[in-house]
Amino acid sequence: MTREEYISALKNALRALPEPDITDIAQDFEEHFSIGLSQGKTEHEIAAELGDPTIVAGTYFEESLEDIGHTMKESAAHTAAAAAASSSANRAAIVSSGTSSAYSTDGSSGTTQAAAPVKDLSGARLFVILLNVLVTWWAALTIYCTLLSFWCVSLSLMAGGIAAFAGLSAASGQWTAVLVLSGIAGVMMAAATGILNYFLSKWTVIGSKAYINWNKKLYNKGF
Amino acid sequence: MNVQFKKGVLDLCVLSMLKESDQYGYELANTLSEIIQISDGTVYPILRKLATDGMVTTYLQESQSGPPRKYYRLTGLGKKTLVGLQQEWLAFSKSVNQIVGGDVQ
Repeated sequence: MTREEYISALKNALRALPEPDITDIAQDFEEHFSIGLSQGKTEHEIAAELGDPTIVAGTYFEESLEDIGHTMKESAAHTAAAAAASSSANRAAIVSSGTSSAYSTDGSSGTTQAAAPVKDLSGARLFVILLNVLVTWWAALTIYCTLLSFWCVSLSLMAGGIAAFAGLSAASGQWTAVLVLSGIAGVMMAAATGILNYFLSKWTVIGSKAYINWNKKLYNKGF
Repeated sequence: MNVQFKKGVLDLCVLSMLKESDQYGYELANTLSEIIQISDGTVYPILRKLATDGMVTTYLQESQSGPPRKYYRLTGLGKKTLVGLQQEWLAFSKSVNQIVGGDVQ
């Protein structure tokens, strides 16, 4: 591409801008060519280094779009993120097409959604569901039932101990000693298993919460 | 290198290069395109935007070889913005490095 071809292609792609701006921009590129030539480069070399004139022209629109983005941010701080997203989506559209028509269509709509890559979650979700139905449900049932039966053991030991003391009034002779001893033993064992059960329950709750969170993360965000 | 990576930091690069001395477009374009492999033409839209935003001013200066050159000079606002952008960039790149380096889950 010669200098003349380059500048006219650039001007053509910029035609949506006001005339003084086009002249101004073209002047910058004329200067770039002149300096390059004075340093011994050819017009073709300089044109190649500058890059496709339509894409370069697109960058000027992109800059003005960014200003629109900034204005939106200022006017509505809450939608700042949305403005940036739509601005970058527009930018991408312009860079890829490099035409001024892209500017007018995308610029006027202003609602283009950023095409964020959508992650396929179906695999992770299926895994979560199957895991819970096939494994976790049964494991959880076993764990919670075991815990419940442990608590029952503690309670019955406690009840036995209390019953032994309650029976003291009706007892006499050697039975008093037996009832006192079994009452103390029952209460002590109830306390010991109770402490053990307390910690087992606590760990089960912590473990369950962690498992639920892990499931949530997997379900919503994938592997 | 990824085009989207470069876009966000070109303003910062140009402002940083103008910090030490005024430069003309060709000079800036050449240096930048050598270091981060962008096309020379990319620099002019950035310079124009920076001028519109009041970050730089321009003046023409004769040269011994070739035509007069349009020089770009940082304004007070430009200097202030540069300091802010530098800090943002350092913090941001550090965070990204942590994620990319695998320190964050």
